[in-house]
Amino acid sequence: MPHKPPTKEELEERKIVGIKDETITHVSSSDFPGHYPGEDHSWDIESFRRGFSVEFHQNDPFEASFSLIGIDASIANAFRRIMIADIPTLAIETVFINNNTSVIQDEVLSHRLGLIPFKGGHEGLHNFLKWWRKPTDESEINNSYYDNNTVSLRLEIQCEHNEKAAAGETDPTKLYKHAHVYARDIEFCPVGRQDKYFSGADTIAPVNPDILIAKLRPGQEISLSMHMHKGVGSDHSKFSPVATASYRLMPVIKIERPILGRDAEKFMRCFPQGVIKLEKVTKKEAAKKGSGYEGHEGEDKAVVADPMRDTVSRECLRHEEFKGKVKLGRRRDHFIYLVESTGQWESDAIFLESVAHLKKRAQDLEKQVQNMVR
Amino acid sequence: MARTKTKKEESVEPGSDVVMDEVPTSHQPESRDDMSVDEDENDEVEVEDNDAEVEDDVQRVRLLPGSTPTAASFEFLNEGHTLGNALRYIIMKNPDVEFCAYAIPHPSEPKMNVRIQTFDSTTAVEALEKGLRDLQELCDVVTDQFVVAREKFMAK
Amino acid sequence: MSREEYQVPTGSGSPTVGGGSFNAPAARDYAGEGGGAIHYICGDCSARVPLDKATGIRCQKCGARVLYKERTKRMVQFEAR
Repeated sequence: MPHKPPTKEELEERKIVGIKDETITHVSSSDFPGHYPGEDHSWDIESFRRGFSVEFHQNDPFEASFSLIGIDASIANAFRRIMIADIPTLAIETVFINNNTSVIQDEVLSHRLGLIPFKGGHEGLHNFLKWWRKPTDESEINNSYYDNNTVSLRLEIQCEHNEKAAAGETDPTKLYKHAHVYARDIEFCPVGRQDKYFSGADTIAPVNPDILIAKLRPGQEISLSMHMHKGVGSDHSKFSPVATASYRLMPVIKIERPILGRDAEKFMRCFPQGVIKLEKVTKKEAAKKGSGYEGHEGEDKAVVADPMRDTVSRECLRHEEFKGKVKLGRRRDHFIYLVESTGQWESDAIFLESVAHLKKRAQDLEKQVQNMVR
Repeated sequence: MARTKTKKEESVEPGSDVVMDEVPTSHQPESRDDMSVDEDENDEVEVEDNDAEVEDDVQRVRLLPGSTPTAASFEFLNEGHTLGNALRYIIMKNPDVEFCAYAIPHPSEPKMNVRIQTFDSTTAVEALEKGLRDLQELCDVVTDQFVVAREKFMAK
Repeated sequence: MSREEYQVPTGSGSPTVGGGSFNAPAARDYAGEGGGAIHYICGDCSARVPLDKATGIRCQKCGARVLYKERTKRMVQFEAR
């Protein structure tokens, strides 16, 4: 039997994960050599380049959203995982507490300090600063700190009565000085070449100066210094450059038979706003035999406006009147990423870094494999 | 007399304590000294870089026993699902590969195994190398298209 | 020096008794500014209260009988995790 090449519709259909009212279908990708007889699905960089595209939806320093279209889930997931766990950032790692008479315990205070995201000059953070490794010999630890692997910070604060406070004042922030300790009270102590990389706008400072660290009352004091090091999210989530990096598959809504009049309005309300819109049935459509629009000229009909905004709640599948009229699905190779940076990197730079990181890993392993065979 | 003694104690106080030698990690003044010397200690920095390279040279890929040229299992140290699944996909895209799968035998061991069975036209090691090369090519394409799309979006 | 020879340091400054100069560091370690007194924090008015062995356990300012130890002056190291 001679092999018939797939039609465009068939190829499109293969990419859709079906979503029924209680079940899902066609979950795994099938674009492998040998899966469809007579078809070639072997890896080819040119055909990948042709089928692959990127679409931006939003690009802000703290939030970027974009689509990768025409890529496999295993690769898309690798990028996502690398963004969360393998891109290095600088965070507080050790806290030296000289005095802490506040009500917050030393270890809890240290933990809170560690979680504060910091920003600084990009050149300094990404190129100048290197890893700090704990020396195997504990006694050598004091010789392991350099200006290119450790950043030191200080926090010295005392709470006092505010003499100028109005009589009868009850707000502690007005009644006392430094009743609240904020991230902006942390002071950067540059050492060696750090002055060159982290001065002016490039200084190392909390991304958000208004993070509340502790509350004090008169007579209480916090006096401590801190060391920051580079680390990765797989070690501790304080090192993760993203608050979240996630993707979802592009929803597909296919209206197979016309949904008209009051049904159309009800259908629209089964989806989040903007997903479905109402249009009038035109004269031309109404004249067409077998279209389902005959005799409905001027009535409202439901039209898919923006499937990306859909949450795929399946609400429309619960109603009898839409049975057989609509098909829901998701595009298996269309990934809508949402990357929210914590501020040390730009969101889009985190993604680019994740791609570079995967390439570097493959490169290193290629050498390793060659080494193994030798 | 006792007064003078206490004065002395106070003067020692700021940021330090006499017994602090016991405290292992850098007590501020010391570490700062260490760090500020660094400016003319470039050789030290190089030593550090060499250390990093040495660590890279540790053999992380191993051929598991019982392997034949066309059917082999590889053990990767310090790799996980991130690379495992991506590598499995790209190797499966090779028409000369009959079977490819990856596994993490136990979550508490930092090991990832890849099983490759090929037809006679290639070997498992070659398929693995081709997979790693294809993965690098793929990354280049993604970067290129991403940068282009971003420029187009920002120009708008 | 045997246990019987030991004398509680007075802080008034006569180091010749007992082990001579041996006792002096001990006296300094435990003496605050008040001379032989250790400072505590009043639980009621949070004043610094010097106490020596002769004074009763009581805040001189407000008369409260709950006193807290001061925090150690030593540096303590923590991992920010």
